[in-house]
Amino acid sequence: MWLHQNFNSFFKSNGLHKLPLTVAGLALIASFNTVNASQDGLGPKITIQESSGKSCVLPSEQMRREHPDLLKHDRVQTLREGVRAQVDGSTLDGSLKQCVNCHAVKDDNNKFVRIDNDQHFCVSCHKYAAVTIDCFQCHRDIPEGSGDFHALSSHKDASYTNVVPGTYSITVKDMANIAPEVGSDDN
Amino acid sequence: MTINIENEKLQEDTQQVESSRRNFIFGSVAAAGLTVAPGVMLYQTANARSLSEKATSKVRWGMLVDTTKKVDWNKCVDACNKEHGLDNEQHSRDDQKTQYIRVVDVKNKGTGYSMSLPVMCQHCEHPPCVDVCPTGASMKRPDGIVLVDRHTCIGCRYCMMACPYKARSFVHETLTDQTENTPRGKGCVESCNMCVNRVDNGQLPACVEVSDGAIVFGDLNDPQSDVSKLLAKHGGKQIRADLKLNPGVHYQGI
Repeated sequence: MWLHQNFNSFFKSNGLHKLPLTVAGLALIASFNTVNASQDGLGPKITIQESSGKSCVLPSEQMRREHPDLLKHDRVQTLREGVRAQVDGSTLDGSLKQCVNCHAVKDDNNKFVRIDNDQHFCVSCHKYAAVTIDCFQCHRDIPEGSGDFHALSSHKDASYTNVVPGTYSITVKDMANIAPEVGSDDN
Repeated sequence: MTINIENEKLQEDTQQVESSRRNFIFGSVAAAGLTVAPGVMLYQTANARSLSEKATSKVRWGMLVDTTKKVDWNKCVDACNKEHGLDNEQHSRDDQKTQYIRVVDVKNKGTGYSMSLPVMCQHCEHPPCVDVCPTGASMKRPDGIVLVDRHTCIGCRYCMMACPYKARSFVHETLTDQTENTPRGKGCVESCNMCVNRVDNGQLPACVEVSDGAIVFGDLNDPQSDVSKLLAKHGGKQIRADLKLNPGVHYQGI
């Protein structure tokens, strides 16, 4: 009730334009509130999924920052221009289908976990970073069939193991280093 | 869903052109296709491009539907549904559910003559759905395939109103378990995309593959393609040709 009244007075006094700031503040407080005392560090946990041993299309550091740009670039190429492969015939770097095929995670019953599961590769990080992704409202979230690892060919780096799989507490500062820089031409 | 339309002009269409001759032609066309593996037809064109090249306007994909062939068009609808993962809505009414192909039954009440034909996106040269789209989501590829870029579709449904063929559908509910090749979801408009993923990979559209030769697919710009040869020989009709949209889908026997 207090919150409700507080919000009402807030709207009247300060106007709507500061709402995002307030929401961010509340989220921050909420995240501190959920800190588990038994954990080593601050913040909620994040689970890094085990890699398949193959490397991704770019070094991990770059993938963490640049995967949205890759996806956005190649979706234009594929859908609007009809380009479906690289010159050497291998899959486009930003093929979401291929992302899902390689990064699919299986649960204890050996079934692929879907997008509503926190273990899903994309969800594990995006939930931690509180960044909502819309991709899987339309795109398939798990491989068709058994999934595969064959179509990736541009093995530009083999250092996906710089983070050992497991469950971590990552600080807000760490996350800031991982998260992509926000550009003005984001859309 | 089936729609009954009364067609006053149908009488002239009842003059069927020597059907045996036509069957012979279509039969030989079907036989000319090269079957590599079950369900895989390699499609050759004069202006073939590699997968890493952009689609160009050298090619104009089109179809010729022979309605005089007594084909169960629902086979095409089923193949389409399977290919694109359609017909999986749980809560939508029948008239809300997505259809890429509709089977339209036409009957002339005067003569009693009836026929049915599959109607999908007609892939117009001048598509009204593209004209009215406020975001540029409704688009025509250079090779003539008209489709929706769901990344930019805001679901306003102007294109549905603009389309004279009622070819577009709107997804009303949250979907799961889509197919890999046809991402589709709530809040977007969608329609037949001529199986663009298959065509780019040199395969025939799903409906063509199961049509027993009643639908011929090919490059309308290439005079040597099967579809161009058939059109040159027998002509073909476009639905509502008076609108001058120049659809890529042609019909025989309507």
